[in-house]
Amino acid sequence: MLSSQSMRASLQVAPLSFAKIHDESTGDGSSTSDLDNNPYSQSHMTPPATPNGSQEDLSPQYLAPPAFHNFLRAFYPFNPSYAMSDTSVTLPLNEGDVILVHSIHTNGWADGTLLGSGARGWLPTNYCEAYEPDDMCNLLKALLNFWDLLRSTTVNDREIFGNQEFMKGIIAGVRFLLERTNCLNRESPFIQRNDVLRKCRKSLLSELSSLVKSAKRLQESQRPALSPVEDVNDIVDEMILKAFRIVTKGVRFVDVLDDDRRARAPASVTVMATVLEESYVPPTPPADQATFEDQTPRSVNDTDSQAAASVATSESSESTQTTMAIFNRRLSSLGSPTGPTTHRLSQASLVQAHRLSASISHRVSLAGPSPLSRAHHLVSERLNRTHDTFLSHLGSFIGRLHLQSQSRPELSSAIKQSALSGGELLAVVDGVYEHINSSSIVLAMARATMFERIQDLVFSARDTLANAESEEADVIMPQDNSILLNSATGCVRAAGDCVAKAKVAIERIGDFEFELESSSLGIDLSILDIAPEERARTPSVSEPSSNPSVIEESHRSSSGSSTLAPRRLTLTGVDKPLPEVPQDVTTPTEEQTPQNPSPASSRPSSAHDDNISSMASSISSLRPLLPPLPKLSTSLLPSEEYSPVDNHDNDFASTSRFDSMVASSAGSSATYLSRDSESSILSQSSTRATTPDHTLAPRNQPSMSELSTTDSSTHTEEVDDVESRLMEKTFAHELMFNKEGLVTGGSLQALVERLTTHESTPDAMFVSTFYLTFRLFCTPMRLAEALIERFDYVSESPHMTGPVRLRVYNAFKGWLESHWRDETDRDALGLIMPFSEIKLRSVLPSAGRRLLELAQRVSGEGSLVPRLVSSMGKTNTSIAQYVPADTPLPQPAVSSRQTNLLASFKSGTSSPTILDFEPVELARQLTIKQMNIFCSILPEELLGSQWMKKGGVSAPNVKAMSSLSTDLSNLVAETILQHPEIKKRAAVIKQWIKIAHQCLELHNYDGLMAIICSLNSSTISRLRKTWDAISAKRKEMLRTLQALVEPSQNNKVLRTRLHDHVPPCLPFLGMYLTDLTFVDIGNPATKQMALGNESEDDSSNGITVINFDKHTRTAKIIGELQRFQIPYRLVDIPDMQDWMAAQIKRVREGDQGNVQVSYYRKSLLLEPRETALRIPSEPQPTTSLGALQNASRTDLFAWMSRDRGNPTPTPTPTPTPAQV
Amino acid sequence: MPRHYQYQPSRELHVVVLGAGGVGKSCLTGKLTFPLHKRLFSIFLQKLTWKTAQFVHNEWIESYDPTIEDSYRTQLQVDGRQVVLEILDTAGTEQFVAMRDLYMKTGQGFLLVFSITSASSLSELAGLREEIIRIKDDENIPIVIVGNKADLEENRAVPRAKGFSISQRWGAPYYEASARTRTNVEEVFIDLCRQMLRRDDEQQAQADADDGYNYDSYGIWTTKITCDNKTNDLQQHGRASRSENHDDWTGD
Repeated sequence: MLSSQSMRASLQVAPLSFAKIHDESTGDGSSTSDLDNNPYSQSHMTPPATPNGSQEDLSPQYLAPPAFHNFLRAFYPFNPSYAMSDTSVTLPLNEGDVILVHSIHTNGWADGTLLGSGARGWLPTNYCEAYEPDDMCNLLKALLNFWDLLRSTTVNDREIFGNQEFMKGIIAGVRFLLERTNCLNRESPFIQRNDVLRKCRKSLLSELSSLVKSAKRLQESQRPALSPVEDVNDIVDEMILKAFRIVTKGVRFVDVLDDDRRARAPASVTVMATVLEESYVPPTPPADQATFEDQTPRSVNDTDSQAAASVATSESSESTQTTMAIFNRRLSSLGSPTGPTTHRLSQASLVQAHRLSASISHRVSLAGPSPLSRAHHLVSERLNRTHDTFLSHLGSFIGRLHLQSQSRPELSSAIKQSALSGGELLAVVDGVYEHINSSSIVLAMARATMFERIQDLVFSARDTLANAESEEADVIMPQDNSILLNSATGCVRAAGDCVAKAKVAIERIGDFEFELESSSLGIDLSILDIAPEERARTPSVSEPSSNPSVIEESHRSSSGSSTLAPRRLTLTGVDKPLPEVPQDVTTPTEEQTPQNPSPASSRPSSAHDDNISSMASSISSLRPLLPPLPKLSTSLLPSEEYSPVDNHDNDFASTSRFDSMVASSAGSSATYLSRDSESSILSQSSTRATTPDHTLAPRNQPSMSELSTTDSSTHTEEVDDVESRLMEKTFAHELMFNKEGLVTGGSLQALVERLTTHESTPDAMFVSTFYLTFRLFCTPMRLAEALIERFDYVSESPHMTGPVRLRVYNAFKGWLESHWRDETDRDALGLIMPFSEIKLRSVLPSAGRRLLELAQRVSGEGSLVPRLVSSMGKTNTSIAQYVPADTPLPQPAVSSRQTNLLASFKSGTSSPTILDFEPVELARQLTIKQMNIFCSILPEELLGSQWMKKGGVSAPNVKAMSSLSTDLSNLVAETILQHPEIKKRAAVIKQWIKIAHQCLELHNYDGLMAIICSLNSSTISRLRKTWDAISAKRKEMLRTLQALVEPSQNNKVLRTRLHDHVPPCLPFLGMYLTDLTFVDIGNPATKQMALGNESEDDSSNGITVINFDKHTRTAKIIGELQRFQIPYRLVDIPDMQDWMAAQIKRVREGDQGNVQVSYYRKSLLLEPRETALRIPSEPQPTTSLGALQNASRTDLFAWMSRDRGNPTPTPTPTPTPAQV
Repeated sequence: MPRHYQYQPSRELHVVVLGAGGVGKSCLTGKLTFPLHKRLFSIFLQKLTWKTAQFVHNEWIESYDPTIEDSYRTQLQVDGRQVVLEILDTAGTEQFVAMRDLYMKTGQGFLLVFSITSASSLSELAGLREEIIRIKDDENIPIVIVGNKADLEENRAVPRAKGFSISQRWGAPYYEASARTRTNVEEVFIDLCRQMLRRDDEQQAQADADDGYNYDSYGIWTTKITCDNKTNDLQQHGRASRSENHDDWTGD
C-alpha cells in the first residue's frame, strides 16, 4: 500500500524541477540587459517617466494572462524531438491537441498532459490557446475534478472508489455537452443528418461506457481482500486515460459540430477580391520594429520561406479556419482591457494585442485565398477583426507616444489610421445594431461612447498638431503626449466595451453575414492633413490576389494597403515611410507569430540563459529539468514540418546569427548545433519519463492503441446503456467539490441527490452535516419537497429507481427518527404523510406504512428520540470514545470530618468554607457539575449564533454553561475578598490554585479557565501584600496554569492541547462559540457556480448554490465539541454538590449590579492603592506596555512596572461612573 | 524619523474588540482579517508559483477558517510603518463576563463597538470603558469608539451627535462604520494603531530620557503633530469631523 501510494504521488509531481531554472532566469542580470541597452525597446514599452527598472515592472504585465487556463489547445504543431538537446520532457504537439495544464512557468512553458496520448511534459504555451468552449466546460471541469480525485493521495482509496460518486461528474459533463448541442437524443436532427457527427457521438458514448465499466471494476476491486492494491493503480491509470479519451472525443465532436454549423450557415460564397488587404498586417511603428528586431535577431530570408511554408499549411483550410476563430476569440479577450488601472497596464495589453493581431492577421492573410473563407463575412468575425485592427492601430500609436520625439506627420497619420479603423469598427457595430432592429440601448450607448472617444482623440490630436505648427517645430511636445495617451486609452476602453456589447447582441440573434461597405466616421479627418510633400510615397494598391504563390510579394508591398476606401489607402501609404528595410516590417511579425502570446518571447535572452544553465544541470541529473525555450528551434519548428529543406538552410543561417549574438557563450550554441547526435539519445530516454505509466511503473499498462482497440469493441448494448444513463435527469453538475472530494457547495436538489445516492452508503460526514444544518439553508418543507421530487424523477432512470427510492425513504426515516425538531419541522408532516400514504406505499408498501407510522408518532410526541444527550445527532460517531465502564471509580477524597461538616451544612447548623475540603474533591465535584451541563448542550443550540440571540432562550444549555463559568469566577473572587486578613486571603488563593491545578489534572479546561481568569483579574492580582504571602512554588504553579489559558494567537496553547485530546475532557466552551461565530460571519451563505464559460460574467451564466462548505465547517466544530460530550467517571457526592450549589447561589444573589466593580472596590478597601501616596513630581508617562508585558513574565502581575508608571494621580480609589 | 523607528521595523500590537453581543463587532474583525488574509495569500501564491494553482479552484482561499492560529493576525501599514496586528475578538463569548478581565489585560488598544441601531448597545460601552481603565490602570489607554451598522441609516437609534458627545467626553475618536459595506473598517484599526504607536513612542522617549540618554526629542513631537493632523483628516473622511460634532452637540 505504501509503495503504491508513493508511486501515485510521484506521478503527480511535475517531471521537472521548476525553481532552479526560475531562479536562473530571473536572477541572471544579463537576461534583461540586452533589452535595457536598447533605447528603442525601452522607450517603446515603458512610460518615459520611469526608465530604470522598467523592465522588471513590465515583464509581469506581459506575463500576466487573463486567467489561468486549465486546458489549452495547440494551434501549431510543435515537434521538439530533433531540436532539443535535453528535451526529453517536451511534448510534441499536433494542431488541435488538447492539453490539461498543471502549471505554467513564467517563461511560458506549461507542464501539461496531452489528452490524446496521456503523456505529460513541457509544452510551449505560445503554441496553444485557451480551450474552454461553453459546451465543453462542464466536461472539462469534471475531468479536472476526476484527475484531482484519482491522482490525489490524500484521499483514502476505499473512500472514493467505494462508490461511483466520482463518476457522476464525467457523466454529467457529457450529458451537458450533448444537451447544449441538442444532440442528447439519438433522433436529434443534427445527428440524423450528419453521419460524421453521429459517429463522433457514438464513439464518445462508447468511451464513456468503457470508463463506466472500468469504474465498476475498480469498485469491485475495492471489496475487501479481492485483489492486490497494485491493480487499483492500474485501473486508476487506465481510467484517467479513458477519461482523457472521452474529452478528446468530446473535442472532436464539438469540432465536427462547429463545422457542420458553419457549413449550414447560409453562405454567399463570394471570395472577396481584397482578401489580402482586408487582412493586411497592421503597420508596425518604428519602435516596434526596433524591438522586434532586437528580440528576434533573425535572417530575413527566413521570413519568406516561412511564409511560404505557412501557405502550405493553410491548404487545410478547415482547420485554419477554426484556428482563426479561436484566435479571434482570444484576441478579443486580450484586447479589450477590462479595467486597465494604469496607463502602463493598458499600454502593455495594448501592445500585446497589437502584436497578437499582427500575427493573426498574418495568418488570416495566408488562409485568405481558400474558398472557405466565407466565414470571414460573418459579422462576429468582422467585428473581431476590425476591433483587432483598431486596437493595433491604437497600440502602435501609443507605442509611438512613448518615443519622446514624435514627428507631426507620423502622429497625424497614426491618428487618421486609428480613426479610420475605429470607423470601420463602428460600421460593423452599426450593422449589428441595425440587425437587431435597434433594440439594444446598451449597445447604442456603448457605440456613442466609443464615437465620442474617437472624436476626443482626433480633436486632441488636432490641437496638438496646431500647437506644433505654431511653434514651427516638427516635434510634438511630451506634455501633449499625456493628453493623447489618455484619449487613446479611452478609445481602447470604449471599443472594448462596445465590442463586448455587440457580441452579446450577436449571441442573442445569432451570427449573420455582413458585408462591410466603405465606412465614414463622420469626423472630419482632413483637419489632420498636413503638408502634401509628406505624401511622397503612395504605394500602388497591391493587386488583390488569391494566389498563394504571389503572397510574398504582395504581402510585402501591401503592408500599407487596406480594404477600405481609396482615401484610406493613401493615408496608410503616408504612414509608411519605413526608414528600415522594408522586409523587416514583416520579419518581426512573422517571426513573432508563434511566440507572441508567450512571455518567453519577450525575453529571448533569458530563455537562452536558461538553456545554458539547464543544459549543464540536465547532464548531471537524471531527473529532467524544465526545458528552456530555445527560441531558434521553437520559432522555426512550424515551418520545419512542412518544408524541411528550406528550413534547413534557414535554420543554419539563423543559427549562425544566433551564434554571433551570443558569442560569449559559445558552448551552448555548440550544443545546439550538435543536437542531432547525442541529444537525440537523451531525448529518447527522457520522453519515457514524461509518460509516467511506462517508465515509473513497468507494469501491464495497456497502451493507448490497445485501449482504443478494446474500446472499439465495446458492445452496442453498453453504449445504449450509457446512453440511457445520459438521458437521466440529474443535478450532479450543480455540485461543487474540493480537492479532497468533499462537497463544498450545491443546489438543494443536487445535495438531496447526493444524500440519496444509490451506489453506496453516503458519506457519513455529509449526511450528518446535512441533517444538522439543513434548516439553515432551506425550510423543512423545501427539504420534504426536494426529497419527494427526487423520488419522482428517478423513475426516468429505471436501473436505479429502486435503490434511490429506498434511499429517499431512508432519508425521511432518518430525519423523523433522530433529527426531528418538532418546533420547526412540524409543517413538513403535511407533505410527508400524504407522500408515505400514497406515493411511497404504492411502490414500497411496507416502507410507506412504516414512514406513515413514524410521521404519526412524531406528530403526536414531538420527537421520537428522547433527547438523550450524548447519543444525539453525533456528527462523527466513529470518533466517539466512551470511557470504558470498567474504569475504576476514584475514591472520593472526603474525610469523615468533611462529611460531618457537609451534614451539618445540610442541617443548616454550620457553613463550611472552601478551605475545609480537599482541592481534588472540589475539582471533581465542580467538574461533574460542569460536565452535566456541557453534555446536555444540543447541537442546534450552536447553530446560527443562537446563543447570542434573544438572550439565548433557544440555547439554554450554552447559557447555563457560561453562567456557571461566570459564577465560578465570581465565587473565587468572593471567597478571597471576604477575608480582611492577608494570611487568610493568601490561604484561599492557594486553595484555588490547587483546585485549578486539579481541574487541569482532570482535563477540565472550562473550570481551569474560570478560576485562572478570576485569580488573574485586576481585582485579585492587585492584592500585592496577599500575593507576597504566597510561596514561590504556588506562584510558579499558577504561572504554568496561566500559560495554558493565554488567549494570544487564537488560543494557540489551548488548541494544541485539545487537538486529539482523548475524552474525558471538558474543553473551554467559549473557544467553540467564537469559532462558530466567525465561521458564521466569515463565510457567505451561498456561492456562485459558473455553469457556462467561467471567464464570462457569472451572474448571467452561473447559478447560486448553497455554500455547503460553511455548514461542513460548522458541523465540524460542533462535532469536535460533541466529541467531548462524554461524562466523567467520577463519584458524585450529593452533599458537596448541594453545598457548592448553595455557594454559587449565594454569590449570584449577592451581586446585584456590577459585581466586577463591587469586587474591585472591595479589593481597594482591603489593600488601598500604594501609588496614591506617591507624589507625582512630573507628568509621568504611563507604563510602557511592552515593558509591562515583558515584566509580567518575570513578575507575575507586574506590580513593579505598575508602581512606577501609575499614570494619573487618581486620589479617589473609586472608579468614576459619573464620567459617563 | 526618530531613530528608534529603525530598530522596530514591524511592531506587534494587541487590539481587543469589545461590545455587546449582536452589534456586529466581529464582522469588523472578520472584514479586516479575512480579506487581507485572502489578499496576502493570493499574493503569496502568485509570488511562489505564478499561479501554479495546482488545480485549486480558488476553493480554499474562499472559505474562512477561524480555528487556525493566525486567523486574527493581520498586517497593516500605518503612516508608513508596518505593524502586525493581533486582534483579540471574543465574539460569541460575551456571556462569559468574568473572562473579559483576562482579555482586556492583553490589549494595548481597544475598539469599543456598538450598533447605531441599538441605544442599549451604546450604554453598555460605558461599563466596558470603566473596566478597561480599571484593568489597564490607565486613563489614556488608546480607545476608538465605533458605531457599526452605519449602512442601516433608516434604523438609526443613536444620533450621530450622541456618538460625538461621548467621543468628546471620553477623549476617544468616534467613527461610524459598516462592516457590510466595508466602510471605515480599515480606518478604525489604523486610527487605533496610530494611537498605540504614538504612546509607544512617547514611552520610548520617556524611557530614553530617563536613561539620561541625550537625544533630540523634537522629532517625536513633530511626528505627533502630523499624526494629529492625519487623525483629523481621517475623521473627516469618516463621515464627520470633530467640529461638526461640536456644532451638533451645542445645537442639542
